[in-house]
Amino acid sequence: MTDHTNDALSQPGLLTPSQSQRLRDLLADLEPGKGSVLTALHRAQHELGWVPRGAISLIAGQLRLTDALIYGPATFYSEFRLTPPPATLVAWCSGPTCRVLGGERIKLILEKTLDCELGQNGPNDDYGLWLGQCNGTCEQAPQVWVNGRVVGKLSLAGSARLAQRIRDGEGAAKIAPPPPGAVEIQPALIRKESP
Amino acid sequence: MTTAFQALRDAAGSPPTAQQRPLLRVDISTSSVAAGADAGLARLRDLVAARGIEIDILTVGSLGLSFAQPTLELQLPGKQPVVYGPVPPDEIEAFLDAVFADPVGQGDDSAWAIGVRGLNGAAGDAQDGVPPLSAHPFWGPQERRVMDQMGVIDPESLDAALAAGRYAALDQALDMEPMAICDLIEAAGVGGRGGGGFPAGRKWKFLLGAPGPTKYLVCNADEGDPGAFVNRILMESDPHLVLEGMIIAARATAASHGFIYIRDEYPLSVVRMRKAVAQAAAAGLLGGDILGTGMSFTLEVVRGAGSYVCGEETGLIASVEGLRGMPKLRPPFPAQRGVFDMPSNVNNTETYAHVPSALLHGSDWYREFGTESDAGTKMFSIGGALQRTGIVEVPFGSSMQALLSDIGGGVPANDKGAGKAKGIQPGGPLGGLLNADDLGLALERPPFTERGVLLGSGGLILFDERACAVDLSLYFSEFCEDESCGRCTTCHGGSQRLVEMLARITQGGGREADLDRLGVVDRALQNANCLHGQFTPYAIRSALRHFRDEVEEHVRDHRCAAKACRGLIRHRVSDPADPALAEAAALCPTDAFVGPDGERTIDDAACVQCGLCAELAPAAIVVEDRFPQAPVAASAAAAAGPSPAAAGA
Ligand SMILES: Cc1cc2nc3c(=O)[nH]c(=O)nc-3n(C[C@H](O)[C@H](O)[C@H](O)COP(=O)(O)O)c2cc1C
Ligand code: SF4
Ligand code: SF4
Ligand code: FES
Repeated sequence: MTDHTNDALSQPGLLTPSQSQRLRDLLADLEPGKGSVLTALHRAQHELGWVPRGAISLIAGQLRLTDALIYGPATFYSEFRLTPPPATLVAWCSGPTCRVLGGERIKLILEKTLDCELGQNGPNDDYGLWLGQCNGTCEQAPQVWVNGRVVGKLSLAGSARLAQRIRDGEGAAKIAPPPPGAVEIQPALIRKESP
Repeated sequence: MTTAFQALRDAAGSPPTAQQRPLLRVDISTSSVAAGADAGLARLRDLVAARGIEIDILTVGSLGLSFAQPTLELQLPGKQPVVYGPVPPDEIEAFLDAVFADPVGQGDDSAWAIGVRGLNGAAGDAQDGVPPLSAHPFWGPQERRVMDQMGVIDPESLDAALAAGRYAALDQALDMEPMAICDLIEAAGVGGRGGGGFPAGRKWKFLLGAPGPTKYLVCNADEGDPGAFVNRILMESDPHLVLEGMIIAARATAASHGFIYIRDEYPLSVVRMRKAVAQAAAAGLLGGDILGTGMSFTLEVVRGAGSYVCGEETGLIASVEGLRGMPKLRPPFPAQRGVFDMPSNVNNTETYAHVPSALLHGSDWYREFGTESDAGTKMFSIGGALQRTGIVEVPFGSSMQALLSDIGGGVPANDKGAGKAKGIQPGGPLGGLLNADDLGLALERPPFTERGVLLGSGGLILFDERACAVDLSLYFSEFCEDESCGRCTTCHGGSQRLVEMLARITQGGGREADLDRLGVVDRALQNANCLHGQFTPYAIRSALRHFRDEVEEHVRDHRCAAKACRGLIRHRVSDPADPALAEAAALCPTDAFVGPDGERTIDDAACVQCGLCAELAPAAIVVEDRFPQAPVAASAAAAAGPSPAAAGA
């Protein structure tokens, strides 16, 4: 299991010069004092797949705020990730329809089979199990999203089989390949490049 | 009519009724994509191109029939449109074969046909053996006022919105005095759809009376209640309706700028709302001189980032400002001090969506539906252990029974036989739990409040006998604890205590005194700053009221009749010879099965009671109470493992 709990504090999370430059360009139009912190964090996360320490400082510089005033929202809001996302992300739906149809047991089966607790990544960040919020596709309940694509109407055995495939190295591209022209229905938490 | 609006309308043309080519509407919304609609659309385009079929493909939002996703609608020249679903990607080819058989329209489409939708709001007639949609239990009882164009028009086209009548109410409002608009909306009784039901017109007057020139309008599209997805379908299917409502509100309040705050879990809503704002601005429906009248109002879309309390209006305002979304004490109310300390007005997305039709048709028309306390219609999203999940619009005051049992089809059959409803969870995580005996309640706020629960913003979840009221209380308490912003000790500490106590009870450590102590925590939580903390105990409070026996059984007897609380049950092999056990053993997440083929048993120390083996080998596994009841033989009690008191330590 790869535990990133303390990464945000212990790792420098430095940006490469080219990442810095791209992020600077992406933030160029944001002005101080206009409530742009969330927008800046979203852009950084969309570009890098997560919000490394270096991005926080860069945003603070652009918006003329202290790092702490960026770090606050970055940790308050659950969609911002201060740790790198896995290559294959299983987001488990925590919503109530999934719950009344067996969701809590599915979480348990995923955690035990992947040997990874909710919020953590497996070895080498190959896969990870994170918490997802209901987005109102409850007709698919109980469900998970694999890199943003729904794998729904899961039985308990089905969730164990899914977890075994992922644990044994099958990635999202095989399990839930996006079609040409795929429409994004989940927040973009998917790794765009190597962290 | 302003000349500017006349020009826009003329340029937009009229809705497609008598088109020359077949028109295929493809639902592209979060629900349909979850069922593969984007893959289906790609397949459809390939096939249509390869076969040279003469057809127009139009992507639309959603009719609300989530249970039948992916849905399609085919309108042949001279005929009424027919709704089909589910048509999964791998059936697209067969579907095309059927509907474009020779002669066209005479093929066998019965595998997918749902009903004939009437044109221009008409009920529709049976056509080629397909019954009208109005005869379908999901559709018939609805009164689709704000939903009238959803799933019909292209949500990414301003022209389509204009042709369907959008912005006609705004054009009318531009001729009215701000106070007259507030009066009309107040007289109609348009109430807040975010849960509170506060009269929108009256709230607008606060902002109108506040000093200018900088005043803000906020659209609350945070829709944080899991299981509620009313605002989402609105934004995905008819974004211009929401904009029109907001611009009318801006006219009524003299607001200068608006924020549409959309939760991050709704990326497609963000895309479509941003597009709509850009289109409206380009057409002069937003900006410095709206439709040539000199009115000035601009709009921007703000993306949330995952925080439930940001749905609370003061938390939302903090979030718009780019801060942590922590609710504040009210007063000051937003109309006094809102976004960036300027006077502001916050309304729910659906509230804004009801404004244009109320303005256009007047208060008598608006009040044709609804009740004394809640006027008009309301959108509901229904789900849970339900046959037909989806989104509907019905008059306030309709019976919940009609909504869940008739429209939703009630509890589907499950492995335990015919399903039986046990209760309803209304109003999101703060809404509480209702017993199925109360299914007959009218869908308006007062009867819900009387029973100690909330009608909320439109999410209703039905649960069956496999669910447990204590387990659900624990679940919602955990949610509230997770989402507490942390400002008040009463809230984050109180919800923590609630979770600890309920977790202990579901693990067999319940004590008689807990029944009172839960009430103590409940009372302490009433001192929390905002409604999040104050409503956190609603789940357990309503469970104690409506599922008293079940809670007492957990506390006193350490027993969960629903066999849902994992700490109170045990899985045991009753028939080691059952061949189905081999697969169960291979999939068991903790490798709890011991012994060779034919002699398998479960190692209770390893088993986490996940239920997988019972699902795969129901004949070979028994699920029994972990703490059997007296009178029991001493040996059986000893075999039951740790005593309740020890388990609760
Ligand atoms: C914890 C909490 C969460 C809330 N979440 C929402 C929400 O997601 N959407 C919403 O419209 N209102 C929500 N509200 C209610 C808002 O504070 C506010 O009353 C509402 O947006 C006002 O709009 P309305 O009058 O049009 O209903 C929430 C309130 C609380 C206390
Ligand atoms: S009651 Fe809870 S959510 Fe509300 S302000 Fe206090 S800590 Fe935050
Ligand atoms: S209940 Fe789950 S953990 Fe226990 S034996 Fe069965 S499959 Fe394994
Ligand atoms: S509860 Fe899981 S999708 Fe709604």
